Parts: sequence; C-alpha cells; structure tokens
Amino acid sequence: MTKVLLIEDDDETAGEIAAELADRGFDVEWSSDGLDGLAKARDLRPDAMIVDRLLPGMDGLTVIESLRKDQVRTPVLVLSALGAVDDRVRGLRMGGDDYLTKPFAVVELIARIEALLRRPPETRETTLRVGQLELDLIERTAKRGEREIDLLPREFRLLEYMMRRSDQLLTRAMLLEEVWNYKFVPATNLVDVHMGRVRHKVDGPDEAPMIHNVRGAGFILRAVS
Amino acid sequence: MPRAGVVEAGEAIVRQGSKHQMQFIRSNTFHWAAALAALFAAFVTILFGFIYFKIDDYLIARSDGMITTQVNFFAALPPDRRIAALDDHNRQDSRGVHFAGIFDANGNRIAGNIARLPGDLAAGAGVKSVRMAQANDEETGAPLVRAVARSLDHGHVLVVGRNVDETREISRVVGGALGLGLLPAFCFWLLAGAWLSVRAQRRVEEVNLRVQRIIAGDLRERLPHRNIDEPFSRLAAIVNGMLDELETTIHALAGVGNDIAHDLRTPLTRARLTLERGRTNATTLEQLQGAADKAIAGIDQSLSIVTALLRLAEIENSRRSSAFGNVELGEMLREVCDMYEPIAEDKQVALSVGTSATLYVRGDRDLLLEAVANLVDNAIKFTPRSGSVKLELLRGGGETILRVTDTGPGINDQEQEAVLRRFYRSDKIRNTPGVGLGLNLVSAIVKLHGFRLIIHSGPGGRVEIICPDEFVGRA
Repeated sequence: MTKVLLIEDDDETAGEIAAELADRGFDVEWSSDGLDGLAKARDLRPDAMIVDRLLPGMDGLTVIESLRKDQVRTPVLVLSALGAVDDRVRGLRMGGDDYLTKPFAVVELIARIEALLRRPPETRETTLRVGQLELDLIERTAKRGEREIDLLPREFRLLEYMMRRSDQLLTRAMLLEEVWNYKFVPATNLVDVHMGRVRHKVDGPDEAPMIHNVRGAGFILRAVS
Repeated sequence: MPRAGVVEAGEAIVRQGSKHQMQFIRSNTFHWAAALAALFAAFVTILFGFIYFKIDDYLIARSDGMITTQVNFFAALPPDRRIAALDDHNRQDSRGVHFAGIFDANGNRIAGNIARLPGDLAAGAGVKSVRMAQANDEETGAPLVRAVARSLDHGHVLVVGRNVDETREISRVVGGALGLGLLPAFCFWLLAGAWLSVRAQRRVEEVNLRVQRIIAGDLRERLPHRNIDEPFSRLAAIVNGMLDELETTIHALAGVGNDIAHDLRTPLTRARLTLERGRTNATTLEQLQGAADKAIAGIDQSLSIVTALLRLAEIENSRRSSAFGNVELGEMLREVCDMYEPIAEDKQVALSVGTSATLYVRGDRDLLLEAVANLVDNAIKFTPRSGSVKLELLRGGGETILRVTDTGPGINDQEQEAVLRRFYRSDKIRNTPGVGLGLNLVSAIVKLHGFRLIIHSGPGGRVEIICPDEFVGRA
C-alpha cells in the first residue's frame, strides 16, 4: 500500500486530509510537529509527504531541506497559507516537489499527490501511445487510429502532457502551471477553452471519448476500454 | 469599553492638575528662560562693571591733570603770594576734596590744610595715591588721595592733592542703576519663562486630551490650532493633515471591508439556497448531487475572491526582489496572446501582437505575465463581438511602453481612478463575471517593479505599462 506521511499541526485540516487519503486507499501517517515529522520521515520511509509550511518545532521547508541533505528523495507537497511569490517555493517546484496554497479543494490535493507519486519515468521513447492515440514527438504529429489529427503547437503541448499522465486526474491549476507555466489562476476559464479545442480534435463525433471532464475537478485522458 | 477609556483619561488629567503649578518649574521651557535670565544678568553686570572702571580711570586721569596744573601754578608764584593763593584755593572747596600745603625741611606745616607731610610722597615725582588727612579733620581718618609734591626754595615742600573718593560715589550710582534695571528685568524674564512654560504645558495637555479621544476611536477629533505662524500651530496643522489622511484611509478600508462582505455574501447566499432547496426537494441521489455541485461552485467563487485578495496583499507586501531577472517582453506578449487566442476566437475578437525590437526589462517574469494576462483578459472581456485587441511594445523618451488597446467601451474620465479601487465594477458591465480585483493586481505588480500604469480614457480601451529605462534590463 502507498504510504503517505502528513505533517500538519491543525487537527481539523489534518483529519479531513487523512480521511480523504484513507478513502482513496492510502496508508496515512500523521504527525503534528516538525521535529517529530522529520523523525517519522526518516523511520517510516513514506512514498510521499504532505507538509504544512508553518509547524511547531521546525518549519516545513527546513524539514524538507534536512531530508534532502540526507539524500531522502521522497516527493513532497507543501501546504501553506502564503502564496508563491517566494524564491524558496520556486526552488521547491524546480526540485520536483509541489506547493499548494490554502485554502484548497481536497480534489486538488489528491490530484497533486497522485501526480507526485506517479511521476512519469524519463523515457527515450519518441512516440507516446495511449490506446489508439499516438503522438510523434519528433515529427510533431498526432494520430488516433488511422485518423491524422492536426494540432496547433499549444494543443500539441497540452496533449503531450496529458498523454504522459494518462489515467490521472489533472486539475486546471496543474495544467496551467505545467503546460503554460502560469503561476496564477486567470479570471477566464482558459483551460476549459483550450481543452475544448483539443477534445474536439481528439474525440471525433462517432468515436468513444478519451478526454473526460471530472466535474468541479479537472480532466482525465483515458484509453477506450 | 472605549468610552470608559476616555473618562479615565479625563480624570487622570484633572488629578494631575494640582501638580501642574510645580511641574512648570521643572519644565524645559522654564529652564531655558531661567538660564537666559541668568546669562542676561551676568552680561549686564559685566557691562556695568566695564563702564564703572572706564569712568573711574577717566576721572583719575582728569584729576591728576588738574593737580599737576595746580602744583605747577603754585610753584611758579612768588613765595609771598603763594600762601595766600593756597589758602584761597582751599577755601573755595565746598566739598572738602582739595588738599594743599607747604612744609619746611623738617616736615612741619607752614601753610595749607594738610595735617602731616606723607612720608611716601617724594618731591618731584609724578602723581600717586597716598593717605593723608586734613588738618581740621584728623579724626575721620586719612582717605586715599591723589597727590603730588614739589620742592621749593629753602628745602620747603609744596603738596597738592585731590580726594578721588567721589569715584566711589559714582560706583554707588552705577550700582544703584544696575539694581534698578537688572532686578526687575531678571524677575520679568523669570515670569515670562514661567508664563511660556505654563502656556506650553496647557497646550500639551489640550493636545493630550484630544489625542486620548482619538486613541479611544473618535477619528473626527482634531488638534487645536490657530491661524498664526507659530511652531505649535504649524505642528498641530501637520498632525491634523495626517489625521485627515488616516481618516480617509480608514474609511476606505472600511468600505473595502463592506465590499468584500457584499461580494462574498452573494455566492454564499446562492449556495445556501441551493443546498436548502436540494435538501427539501431532492428525491433522488442525482438531484441531491446536482444541488451539492451547484453549491460547491458558489463556494468556489467565494474562495476565489478570498484567494485573489490574499494574492493582492501578498504582492503589495512583497519587496523588489534581488532575484529579478531580465524578461524579454515580446516573447512574453506572444505567450499571453497564444494563451488567449482561442477565447478571442470564440468571441470573434481579433487578438494581435505588434513588437518591433527585442526589448528587455528587469523584473519577475511570472508576475509580469500575470499583469499582462489580466489586462488582456479584461480587454477581451469588454470588447464586443468582431472587435479587436492589440498588444504593442513601443520605445520612446527613455521608456519602454507596453500597450494594450481594445475597441471596447473604454474607461471614461470619471471612472479612471475608480477602476483601481478594489471590487470596482463599472455599471455598464455589472453582468460580466469577474471578481473586480484584476486592475488592482496589475497596479500592485506594476508598482512593485517601479513601473507606471496609465489608463487612458475612452472611447476604446487603452492601458499602458511604462517601464523607465533605469528598470530596463540589458540584453
């Protein structure tokens, strides 16, 4: 079972996150203190960690930094009431970890934890395949079965990201950050518009849909079963 | 409880009242006045002393001259007329200051009014001070007299002197004048000092009382000030100006609070209604889930307002970062354009980028992108169908100008300031969705970079971010 260590000092928030993770089949360990959390991270060797930034004992970012010094590479999702106009947070994202600003929706948190756990392996493959869908990274062409799909560069980028993370829930904020490098949520539903375009091209009128909209959460690309 | 605070402060001031009479003596103003009074007194004393010594010198020099003339005159007379002239000279002296006499070789008086020949008076020497008494007045003691002696025939000695004790009288007069002038002046200084000190104390108390009221929450209270050019009044005017500014700001903040409450209440009320109706009316799970979804959407909208506010506060409170890098504006504009193109297309609005050169500015790329995206978002939102939105990059006057123009209604003169207010939404666009914080965010980001945001008045929207060259990066 996947083990997740949650370090969060607010009982109520922690309780809800833990319950949600347990529902989704995770094995959750909870610690409410920075020092205790660090000790648990070393002992239990969790698969992923959720760390609040402000903690009694030792602050969250310091916990992560000391783990990294010990060559512990466990992916971390940092939670904070503070936003991301901060160089330390940028460093976090560069290091492959993730950052979520409170208040957040629980689906967003789960989606990000799953994304951290299922980081796509670095492959030398030049063709991505999900079911009938095929993406040639060299030729920059896409095919669904025999049908050629004509994609604009930005649509190609979006589809590539989704194919690398097929069967995963991708939230709008994740797509904005990863595909467009947007660190903020724009007023207009940009992602939906772009997704609409791509979906229109990928899912033909008489084909079974591959891109699914998860209400209030985001999108999933799935092979037709 | 604030009212109670005022009462207590007032009582404290009354209780302090009795102490004030003594307090002014310790006050700084009084100390200064006393020190100045002492300095003035010392100065006047020195001045009077100087005058006294100068007059004394002058009088002695004058009497010395007189004695010398007299002794020469008597010495030159024939011996038979000399004694008569001498007696005549002594008789004419009503004040008893004249000394004159002739002594024989043994020191016995031959003529004149001098009791004895002073031993220390050498004949032929200059004028000097010696003690000598008048013959008829020996018991009062020998005063100090300026005198000169001359040798005559037969070993006789002629002595002429003058009592200069009158200079003492002058010093008495001068001293009297000093006392008469200095003492009242000194008292006047002290009184003036005390008066100034008490006055300052009163004003401080008055100010204290008002400030206590302000602290207790009465923001309309102002410090007392008269329309005269006096430091206290000027200070009061300055503080009042500051209080005006604070009052406006606090009211504006209260206004923002109301706006936030209002904007949050609308979606929350809707969510509550949906939940309530769903709970009563839903007969199937699907219907209940539908209601829950709608409610969640309403709560999400409230959350997005909170998030936008927090983000605004975060940007406003952050400082120019040392981590600012060189940002290529043209490429950034094309990126924003690429992002918004499908939305513009859906609305049939033509979105275009016009850049001539490769231009760099120093800044935070993510934040600048957010600012430009907000401007473009707004421009597309307010531009009617088949209009156009243009992004341009210009150079001029040592500035790099990033301009967003659209064919929408634009912003009129009255609204120019208002659009930068939080939650401001023009009446014309009440129905357009949005949080109403977009331009605030742009303004905060622009300010953080040291750039300027200019919103031109309509028709047609035109917003410019002006980056002065000192903030422009090098390629």
